[in-house]
Amino acid sequence: MATVNGYQSNTPVASPTATTATKQSVNPVKTVDSQSVLKRLQSELMALMMSGDSGISAFPEEDNIFSWKGTIHGSKDTVFEGTEYKLSLYFPNDYPFKPPKVKFETGCFHPNVDVYGNICLDILQDKWSSAYDVRTILISIQSLLGEPNISSPLNSQAAQLWCNQEEYRKMVEKLYKPPSARIEGV
Amino acid sequence: MVSDSITNASIPSIPNSKDFAKKKRTNRSAKLKQCKLDARREQWLSQGAVKSKGCKDGLGDDRKERDRALENSRQREEDNNNDRSIHHESDSESPSNSPVNSLLSGGGTDSATNFGGSSGSSSSSGSSVCGSSTGGCCSGSITEEEEEDGCLDDWEAVADALAADDDNNNNKTEVEHDNPCYQSPSESQLSVQSDSLHDLTSEFGLDSVNSMPDSARVGYNMRAWRPDDAFRPQTLPNLAKQRSFPASDRRFVPGGVPWTCNNVLTVPSSCPICCEELDFTDSNFLPCLCGFRLCLFCHKRILEEDGRCPGCRKPYKRDEIESEASVQGGSLTFRLARSCSMIARS
Repeated sequence: MATVNGYQSNTPVASPTATTATKQSVNPVKTVDSQSVLKRLQSELMALMMSGDSGISAFPEEDNIFSWKGTIHGSKDTVFEGTEYKLSLYFPNDYPFKPPKVKFETGCFHPNVDVYGNICLDILQDKWSSAYDVRTILISIQSLLGEPNISSPLNSQAAQLWCNQEEYRKMVEKLYKPPSARIEGV
Repeated sequence: MVSDSITNASIPSIPNSKDFAKKKRTNRSAKLKQCKLDARREQWLSQGAVKSKGCKDGLGDDRKERDRALENSRQREEDNNNDRSIHHESDSESPSNSPVNSLLSGGGTDSATNFGGSSGSSSSSGSSVCGSSTGGCCSGSITEEEEEDGCLDDWEAVADALAADDDNNNNKTEVEHDNPCYQSPSESQLSVQSDSLHDLTSEFGLDSVNSMPDSARVGYNMRAWRPDDAFRPQTLPNLAKQRSFPASDRRFVPGGVPWTCNNVLTVPSSCPICCEELDFTDSNFLPCLCGFRLCLFCHKRILEEDGRCPGCRKPYKRDEIESEASVQGGSLTFRLARSCSMIARS
């Protein structure tokens, strides 16, 4: 409630009416916050399953809806065609006001993905908007595969090789471990 | 169409029949009131030139004149024993054969010769094609204004005023009211037969008329006052009513601007950030010019953090927020604030 009042004092004319007052009386509690995250994530899951986007999928892990596993298929006519990458998504308690932490679980030879699977993507950092959701994140990462940002690479070797697409494709095939094979290997 | 000579020939018979015609009209108006609503819808559906006066004055006239025309053509055909009478029989079964065409051709010189031969008064029926149709055109604009004023109930007054206005036309058409009395038995029989044909014409008149550039005027007028016709089969007005419902809806759409706005305002039923349902205040809350909507709570939360609109990443404008927060109670005043901000932007 204190933060709410502080906000009101910052905006002098703002005197929330009855409708907003009731909302505020419900919302400040932390548990309600996580409940709203829950609702948001459930709604996203539903939207993702209904959308039927090809090449992307995601689903929460067994007992934790704040931790999802996603898959991305390399787009056609890119060096990543025919590949499939597993990702993990961890949603903070203040999602969607803060972005989820997204990592490649499958090794990916890409200029903007480091050896640990960390992704350098603006919308997952400073360009994050609470209007983004799992679906748009996965689509963005999918398009990032085919259109890397060479100027700020995490993997400089991949960035240098990117200009030679044939060699790059060979490298992708050489380093690519299908998710299932990786599990077998482990 | 109709030649001038026929029109002139009809004029001498006017004074005799005028009073009688008015009485008849009064009686007819009682019947007209029943299907007034249908008529209005139909008129709204049909365009400018064909309006209520045509329904009122030309109702009987033009109908009869059309019947007459058909009768004439029929008579002529029967007299001549040519193939067209058979063609007309088939018309009732396949109305797409454009009876209007034959009707129009018959309504011209043929009817004039036939009726000139039978009786003086009925000879004017041929001319009424011209008279009443022009009358319908003139009255069309007048009654259109009446319609907008919402005083369509005063049909008789309108009709009388119009009758006074264009005396010439009405004089010709009023004669038509007498025509049933002058109808010879053979004619009335024929009119019964031609009724079916005529109604089929009414159904398909518009389509067939559209393809006829010159004669379309008369044919179009014919269609307009058909729903008012007292002799009309019961099925057709219902059909017209159904057909004209969308038109009436469309008519009220301009008045229903709030409805349209409301629809736009409530496009997202739930907040895209927290997925909670937007209540009335939320759905009228437009914090950013980009049009991205969210609930007040999420908006507040974002203001606490980076204060950027999730839709466009631009920082929320403080003054805008204040103005909108001050009028959160009512959507109407909110919209005012919104429009103000839009003006400020441009």
